Amino acid sequence: MHTIEISQVRKTFDEFVAVDDLTFNIAQGSVFGLLGPNGAGKTSTIRMMIGITAPDSGEIRVFGNPFDRKCLPKIGYLPEERGLYKKMKVLDQLVFLGELHGMNAAVARKKATDWCERLEIAEKLDKKVEELSKGMQQKIQFIASLLHDPEFIIMDEPFFGLDPVNTTLLKDVMLDLKKNGRTILFSTHRMDQVEKLCDSICLINRGRSVLQGPLKQVKAQYGKSNVQIEYEGSGEFLQKGELVGSYNNYGNYVEVRLAPGADAQQLLQIAAQRSRISKFEVVEPSLEEIFIEVVGKNDA
Amino acid sequence: MHNVWLIARREYLERVRTRSFMIMTVLTPVLMAGLMIGPGVLAERMSHHARHMVVVASDQQTGEIIKTQLLHADQQSRDNAEEAQKSSIKRSQAAASELTVDIDTDTSAGHRADLVQKLRSKELDGVVWASNAALQARKVPFITRNTSSFIANDEIQTSLNQSMTRRALQARGLSDQEIQNIFQPVKLDVQDASGNGAVNPQIVLVTSIVMVMILYMSVLMYGINVMRAVLEEKTSRIMEVMLSVAKAKEMLAGKILGVGAVGLTQIGIWAAVALVYIVPNAVAMRNQLKEVLSPGLLIWFAVFYLLGYALYSTMYAAIGSMVNSEQEAQQLQFVAIIPLIAALAVMVGVAQMPSSPLAIWCSMIPFTSPLIMFMRIAVQTPPLWQIGLSVALLVGTIYVLVLLCAKIYRVGILMYGKRPTLPEMVKWLKYA
Repeated sequence: MHTIEISQVRKTFDEFVAVDDLTFNIAQGSVFGLLGPNGAGKTSTIRMMIGITAPDSGEIRVFGNPFDRKCLPKIGYLPEERGLYKKMKVLDQLVFLGELHGMNAAVARKKATDWCERLEIAEKLDKKVEELSKGMQQKIQFIASLLHDPEFIIMDEPFFGLDPVNTTLLKDVMLDLKKNGRTILFSTHRMDQVEKLCDSICLINRGRSVLQGPLKQVKAQYGKSNVQIEYEGSGEFLQKGELVGSYNNYGNYVEVRLAPGADAQQLLQIAAQRSRISKFEVVEPSLEEIFIEVVGKNDA
Repeated sequence: MHNVWLIARREYLERVRTRSFMIMTVLTPVLMAGLMIGPGVLAERMSHHARHMVVVASDQQTGEIIKTQLLHADQQSRDNAEEAQKSSIKRSQAAASELTVDIDTDTSAGHRADLVQKLRSKELDGVVWASNAALQARKVPFITRNTSSFIANDEIQTSLNQSMTRRALQARGLSDQEIQNIFQPVKLDVQDASGNGAVNPQIVLVTSIVMVMILYMSVLMYGINVMRAVLEEKTSRIMEVMLSVAKAKEMLAGKILGVGAVGLTQIGIWAAVALVYIVPNAVAMRNQLKEVLSPGLLIWFAVFYLLGYALYSTMYAAIGSMVNSEQEAQQLQFVAIIPLIAALAVMVGVAQMPSSPLAIWCSMIPFTSPLIMFMRIAVQTPPLWQIGLSVALLVGTIYVLVLLCAKIYRVGILMYGKRPTLPEMVKWLKYA
């Protein structure tokens, strides 16, 4: 059973092709990552899923049926462009948005209070939105998208601008939602944040899908061809050649992508001769590296 | 429909609760009352000392006649002022204070210098130099400190003229009673063709101008409020959250209804305050106002407020959705204000000649008709077919505008950055 089925969707704005022949499915109860650089067509795709715009061609099915506005109350949406009524009090605002999603005012009030307690902002319920810090507004918006207990949750850059404590707080909430069988779509260009959360991904660039599938499968394609090294001393062992395909050097820490057919042991020997090695680990490439590689190739 | 209601309710409650709404609601009647009462109070203060005049005549009898005539004229003008206070909306004509008139038969130049001296030292307020020489020359000096005020100068002139006539009639041997009858004034009794007494035209004019001004202010103010509301949603970027559950059309409708209801509330409060102010102030005025402010006219007021507001707020909503900041909005909103200003410019002319071609045309053109047709109805009920045609044209225009503006709105609210050019907007209209 798929919560979302997108097949051969195309959307253009005048001459600009925002989304082109895009096809992917989101399994019910899974966490799906819609990834891509800025302007890749992520937001355009999301807007079509919730009927803000309509595709020029192709089909979008939601909860097994062609898109219908009636299913909107079962969807929660946290847009990338955050916005709340600045002069409105937090609780009034949440109740209003809850009512728009078909909730009873009293229920919305109760749930909003519960959520604010859970996210540690209960004392702000009576404050106007404009009096709150950016991070708190972010949390309010987060609550607004979850208040009506949606079955399908769309989060566009959910962690943008949050400190590590709050990021963890929200991450836990989302893991809970997943445990309760909700389907979640993440849209982001910050790969590191979703890597640990997503079951499957779709990587899009310039409106087209360039890589998609279950995360494990995607990573397996690229094999264990990466090495993380912590070192002291000179980094001159890092020379592109037979062993080193490319690298990302942070000074005392480096991530090396091995050249095709290279042996990690050889690299360790060379490195140990020239500097002190405190950590040497062979790993899967991170999503970010895959992303850079695929998008770079795609753009070239 | 449920969404429209929720959005309208939010818009209404949020606005009615603001401090600026309360301040506007309270301050406007206070200011208006101040403008109406203030000048009267000031005038009363200024004329609140007893006045003292001297009539210098060659003989006692002439002096008596002029004195009687002056006192009589003064009494009459005070009666008029009192009457005016009751029947006029303004209270500027305050009743003057008591007048004393002395008679003096010393017409020597030396005595005149003495009197002028007394005038300078404020023992006297005016000297009428009605010596026989002056009367024969038919040029009577009136010496006063302030040549342009005191009792109106023409009042004294009238008194002198009447005194001369009276003296001449007495010389012809007419009795006092006969003379009295000659001076009995004739009053004009104005009626229309069906025999109804005319309502004070001043009240009709002032009332209708005030109502049209309120109409203009409300349409403009709440139209611009709609624009601000759209702009606020756009700049605070809440648009996208709203659009994920409500249609653009529902948002537009909710916004216009909510803000429009705020306008009605405010006008309602003002109307109530006005009635409360009028009741204890002038019973006569209220009676006359009742004839002007018929329930029918109040219904027309509501009709034209709603239609005018619908027309302009739709345009303003479209403008709000096109722009990204108040500054940009100001340039565009001016374009939408021009027809309203044009209506104001012809307003007084229309009030005076409600059946002129200009009045008829302006009451038909949908952008000026909310104000001008209402003005015509207030002053002199135009033919029913004209009212019907005007309302029909207005409703038709609103319908077309709503369709167009809803499209512009739908596209505009998600467009950030550059303001659209005219060709781009035409393209927006073509989007499905």
